[in-house]
Amino acid sequence: MSIRPLFAALAVASLAGCASDPAPTEQLKLTEQALEQAKAVGATDDQDDLQMAQAKYAQARSAMLGKSYKDARMQAEEAELDARLAEAKVLVAKSEEQLHQLDTRLNRLHKQLGSAQ
Amino acid sequence: MNRVPRLISVCLLLGSAGLYGCAGRQDSDQALRQAGADFQKVKEDPDVLRSAPRDVIRAGELLSRADRLSGYLGSSTDVSHYAYLSSRYSAIAREHSHLLLNQEALAKQELERQRLQLALREAKLASAQRQGQWLEDQIVALATTQTDRGLVLTLGDTLFDTGQAELKTSANRTVLKLVQFLQLNPARIVRIEGYTDSTGDKDENLQLSKDRAQAVADVLTDLGIAEKRIQVQGYGDDFAVAANTSERGRAMNRRVEIVFSDEKGHLGAAR
Repeated sequence: MSIRPLFAALAVASLAGCASDPAPTEQLKLTEQALEQAKAVGATDDQDDLQMAQAKYAQARSAMLGKSYKDARMQAEEAELDARLAEAKVLVAKSEEQLHQLDTRLNRLHKQLGSAQ
Repeated sequence: MNRVPRLISVCLLLGSAGLYGCAGRQDSDQALRQAGADFQKVKEDPDVLRSAPRDVIRAGELLSRADRLSGYLGSSTDVSHYAYLSSRYSAIAREHSHLLLNQEALAKQELERQRLQLALREAKLASAQRQGQWLEDQIVALATTQTDRGLVLTLGDTLFDTGQAELKTSANRTVLKLVQFLQLNPARIVRIEGYTDSTGDKDENLQLSKDRAQAVADVLTDLGIAEKRIQVQGYGDDFAVAANTSERGRAMNRRVEIVFSDEKGHLGAAR
């Protein structure tokens, strides 16, 4: 019976993220890769998502230095998804541009066909 | 159940909540509601489900994690965090779906472009063929005669100066038409035959007839017709088309005839 409060305390402790959080090195690597990938497809600082990703990544790194591992992990996790969203948006914008170009070419072809007949 | 440990556990919970949970409870609730709404939208969108199922699943997992955590005191930071991650996955799923739809549209339009290009090429070809037919009519109209030798175009003696083999510039129009006709009918070949009247030396006449035929052939090759499509023949004063007794008749006999093969390149035998 007297064990239950102990469990509760443990659960809260682990939720609150005490010093026992492991260093999120893997997550930081993942985040870095996501950032690189986003930049590789052409994401720029004009994008809020990429800016956020970079700011959070910087915070994560300084949290690592201060050994605030939980904070580092959270910042890095959010930065990873921010970067991936930035990447996806760039790809969408590019495909929109391609669609637009193809549309123009199709119109030109239609016109030419109209005058060729 | 013993009341005392329970009280202690509640105290512990409250204590740790007081220590840690300073990120506003309201903020985390707001984030959780937002994540729930975002997830609901992507979950109900068949395009998103089809194109980015993994992102949708991750959004759902993170949402229920945030939801579970929200039952605990002092968890608002974590709730906000996982709700945020869930919302991001929903957004990523939406973008991925958008991307896939665009790519599908691109593939479809690319096919359409190829179809149109083909149609355009065919239309151009058809118009070229019509033009070819028109030219053919023109060539036929250019005093050609359909003889047993095939289609024959006669270049009269006014296109040459007396005793000279060079084509006069007045022949240009006819020659250009001829070149166009041959370009549009790449399978056709020609034989260029020179003829003279019976005045003067027979050998000289033969040479002159050859030279005149060759002069026409040279102009054609200069204008891009392959040499192998052109045969050259001189007949001197043979095969007169009119009596050599009158000036008119002699003028008619001084001529260059161009004999066309059929469309497949079959040329009648030389005389």
